[in-house]
Amino acid sequence: MKIQFKCMVILSLFLSGVMALGQDEGEKLFKQVCVACHTINDGKLVGPDLAGVHLRRSEEWLLKFIRSSQSVVQTGDPVAVALFEEFNKIPMPDNAFTEDQIRKIIAYIASNSPGGPGAAGTGGVSPATGKFSNQSLQGDASNGEKLFTGNVRLSNGGPSCISCHNVKNDKVITGGILAKDLTDVYTRLTAAGVQAIIGNPPFPAMSQAYPGKSLQAQEISDITAFLKLTDDIKKNQEGTNYGLTLLLSGLCGAVVLLLIFKGIHSRSKRGSINQHIYDRQLKSI
Amino acid sequence: MDVRAQVSMVFHLDKCIGCHTCSIACKNIWTDRKGAEYMWWNNVETKPGTGYPTKWEDQDIYKGGWQKKNGELKLRGAGKMRGLVNIFHNPHLPVIDDYYEPFTYKYLDLIESPAMNDQPTARPVSLITGKPIDIKMGPNWDDDLGGTPDYARNDPNLQGLTAAEQEAMFQLERMAFFYLPRICNHCLNPACVASCPSGAIYKRGEDGVVLINQDVCRAWRMCVTACPYKKSYFNWGTGKSEKCILCYPRLESGQAPACMHSCVGRIRYLGVMLYDADKIESTVAGSKNDQDLAQRQRDMLLDPFDPEVIQAAKENGVADSTLKAAQDSPVFKFVKLWGLALPLHAEFGTLPMLFYVPPLLPVMASLSEVDNDEHAKNMDPVAKHWNDNWLYDTSTEELWATIDKARLPLKYLANMFSCGDESKVKDVLKKLMAVRIYRRWKTVGDIDETKAMAVLNDVDLAPETIEDIYYLTSLAKFDDRFVIPAAHREQAIEMLEFTGDAKGSAGFGVTEKPRRGW
Repeated sequence: MKIQFKCMVILSLFLSGVMALGQDEGEKLFKQVCVACHTINDGKLVGPDLAGVHLRRSEEWLLKFIRSSQSVVQTGDPVAVALFEEFNKIPMPDNAFTEDQIRKIIAYIASNSPGGPGAAGTGGVSPATGKFSNQSLQGDASNGEKLFTGNVRLSNGGPSCISCHNVKNDKVITGGILAKDLTDVYTRLTAAGVQAIIGNPPFPAMSQAYPGKSLQAQEISDITAFLKLTDDIKKNQEGTNYGLTLLLSGLCGAVVLLLIFKGIHSRSKRGSINQHIYDRQLKSI
Repeated sequence: MDVRAQVSMVFHLDKCIGCHTCSIACKNIWTDRKGAEYMWWNNVETKPGTGYPTKWEDQDIYKGGWQKKNGELKLRGAGKMRGLVNIFHNPHLPVIDDYYEPFTYKYLDLIESPAMNDQPTARPVSLITGKPIDIKMGPNWDDDLGGTPDYARNDPNLQGLTAAEQEAMFQLERMAFFYLPRICNHCLNPACVASCPSGAIYKRGEDGVVLINQDVCRAWRMCVTACPYKKSYFNWGTGKSEKCILCYPRLESGQAPACMHSCVGRIRYLGVMLYDADKIESTVAGSKNDQDLAQRQRDMLLDPFDPEVIQAAKENGVADSTLKAAQDSPVFKFVKLWGLALPLHAEFGTLPMLFYVPPLLPVMASLSEVDNDEHAKNMDPVAKHWNDNWLYDTSTEELWATIDKARLPLKYLANMFSCGDESKVKDVLKKLMAVRIYRRWKTVGDIDETKAMAVLNDVDLAPETIEDIYYLTSLAKFDDRFVIPAAHREQAIEMLEFTGDAKGSAGFGVTEKPRRGW
């Protein structure tokens, strides 16, 4: 009996250890990647609440969708298209997970969904529970503007937002056109979504830009406050996003300048006077 | 009357042998420096030819000199308004290839080369970049290796000649050339002085030498554009412009300028000319007809024997020694008294004070076919026997016919020396020829006296004058050719400072501790 009991204990410890490992990797990946846009049983964020998603969708569909959501949308899958439409056409970035990793993430979601074994204690998984909510925005918009434009460096050395993003705000010079215009991002994603994306960038280019340089919590809320302000006042702004116009006017200006220079130089002597004599002599050799 | 003295020059082109000794003398003294390698303050050109820098006479290219606009005299390519507009970009400057890229040879390679199958060669290297180059040009490429027809046919002075006349000039049997040595003309109406935005260029009061103050020059290079003779050069090493200084340190110590002193053909004469500075503007701008500019310039020069002139000169502070030099001046004789010397391109309007006696020889000679056999029979069998039957004929059966049949068309010489007025050049050539005919009667005797005297009557010269011309042309000694006035530097210094201030601080009785250590 004693031996039996001991064997049971050892076996259960072993099994729970193995299970915990799988559980751990799924949790790690979820909190690293998915949590920027998704919660489990804590409401919609940028993307849908994933509680019970393993019941709603087949595993095959989930595998395809998590790997590359856009390709599923493009196949015309009605569920995928409906989701894409519902969530403001913000594409979910592709993920380079293995099948095994995705299964582990799904397992983690399953275990934290209502009725799952982990759900009871936590009461839902969200980016950082309680921290990012639409109500508790304590950011300083003017400091956020400085951080956005790079007048104040981000404390961990990440690049300023303006290098890739533009906003329609007269206080701010035109930003980059590499990434999306963030003027109305606050409306689209709400505070929680904005903060989640800044805090844990899910987009490949953005996450590449901030490896180990993640923003401080205060910086995140400052920038979010600035984006909220920008969104609020966007109707009153002139808008300095020249885009293609800037490029074209630059080209036109260059052409005009070149013509002026040509005019100025039109009377100039070009080259040496004796070149034709020298050329003729070379030809006759 | 504002009488001033000008040290001026005459170059007798019939005597120039094109040896370039003058250029070398000048180069060794003044321009053998970094940044000045391409400069030839004195250069010798072959005419017809393009000159140095290439086609410098063509002001449509270089925009040098003066032009009249609404009766007013304006600089063509520089000046106040135009200079300001172009001050940071001077559009008509000659580039280095218009001169030539200065070069030397790697002579050391000849000595230090290791033993090999082939002889070592000294490759040409640029004096600007230090890298090996293909030599394109030299200061007188027409003459050296360049192939004259290419250059001669591009001579700007050929304009106004018909195509047939030009073609005739380049026929092998008629081909002729002469040399044109050039230095700064030290003009009376210098365009370089007028163009300088910094006021760095000035014409010395006592002798009229035009100089560039190296401390004031700001490298605008307007003088390079403005000088129609292209005798102001930009030193790319120091960033200042430089030009011929007429060897003023030598002049002040009574020596002839180096180019003149070294002249092998003794073609150069230097002396003082008096001129009326009040007439400068009216001389250049006064007349509508540009063809008589050379004559009007001659009229502006004054006779140093005229008592009125002497009086006015003294009132103006011209020293007695300078007046004496002006009376003895060979330039006065050639230019004013005998009317033999003409300015080069007077139409540029700068009143150049370097005058040229135009060349007679290529004009006068003609070619005729003769039979040399009789002559050859008398020669020693080992003697060199010329079997061509052309005679380079300078005989004078008809008095002036050869001038009209000149190998160099008169129009060509007139374009250079008398603003295109052929009669003026013809006058001078007739006088020169009269001297020859007269002297031929005297020394060779194959011309009879009546003919010689008829010639003198024709050009209205007395036999004594002819002898004088002959003397100054052929026999003149050093002191006849160069009459250099005392510089009177002491007077110049006293105008600026009181020499008594320095009394007792130099000479005997003054001891100064030697400077030791460092």
